[in-house]
Amino acid sequence: MILVDDLLIKPFVSLLDVLHAMVLEELHDVDAIRDEIKENQLLYELGERPQAEYERRKTELETNLQVAEQVREKLIDGNIEVQ
Amino acid sequence: MSDDSSNLYVYGITEQTAIEMAVDGVYGASTLQTVDYKSLSALTCPIDTTEPERTDEAVAAHDDVLRTVIERDDVQTVVPMGFGMAFKNARTLKGVMRGARRAFRKAFNDVEGCVELGLKVVDPADGSADPGALRATLDAELDPLSVGQTDDDLFSDRLVANRSYLVEQADRDAFDDAVETVEATHEAMLVNYTGPWAPYNFVDIRVGAEASS
Repeated sequence: MILVDDLLIKPFVSLLDVLHAMVLEELHDVDAIRDEIKENQLLYELGERPQAEYERRKTELETNLQVAEQVREKLIDGNIEVQ
Repeated sequence: MSDDSSNLYVYGITEQTAIEMAVDGVYGASTLQTVDYKSLSALTCPIDTTEPERTDEAVAAHDDVLRTVIERDDVQTVVPMGFGMAFKNARTLKGVMRGARRAFRKAFNDVEGCVELGLKVVDPADGSADPGALRATLDAELDPLSVGQTDDDLFSDRLVANRSYLVEQADRDAFDDAVETVEATHEAMLVNYTGPWAPYNFVDIRVGAEASS
């Protein structure tokens, strides 16, 4: 019985794991966040983005980057799984 | 000359020149000194590690030191090292310079007497710019005054051009004028003109394997 359950359910769990990992990668795209940090800096230097908005956005993006890097490390280590 | 026993962080290499100057260096280093090997001088600061962590502040300090050196009258050419090149002591560094001497010599030939200048052009917020016309102006005005160009990463949807130019020191004023012409021709666009930088985009020397040996 256990063997039958494994055969029937495991492929779906693996597929869910893959889909979950893809969604996490999309939500926490390190390269995209780094690009946004560069864009924020550039628009500030050009005078188009006021200092207060630049600093608020910078803080927000740096936090997002930290989270994204942690998620990426965990994905690489295989530590994020669908429960 | 540098104390032979301390770790050394290397910013770049120049033709042999004796330099000792105050800087705001990587990890708070305050004095830049040269370490010579034959006709080359390494631009170094003491550092307490051979594996410096890459932070925004440290990378900015690395760039700033190189920019300061480039502006000196007694320095014609700087071959930049990437961030993080630190060595156990001057003896180890000289060994690396000996091993990479041919690569350094070729790099000097490639960028001799030149600096790197950066140009980013951003679309106005209303999206009214003509990217094709801008690129044509850049090709006509700036390319003839430069020894080389690279098209760099367009990291924002609003970036129309992100280019690095290798420009001879003697042509810098003419290049500045040409950038003004570009701005006047496309006045709706936002232009971010930076430099001089060490020519990172035009030399590629890696000595990572030996860096901390």
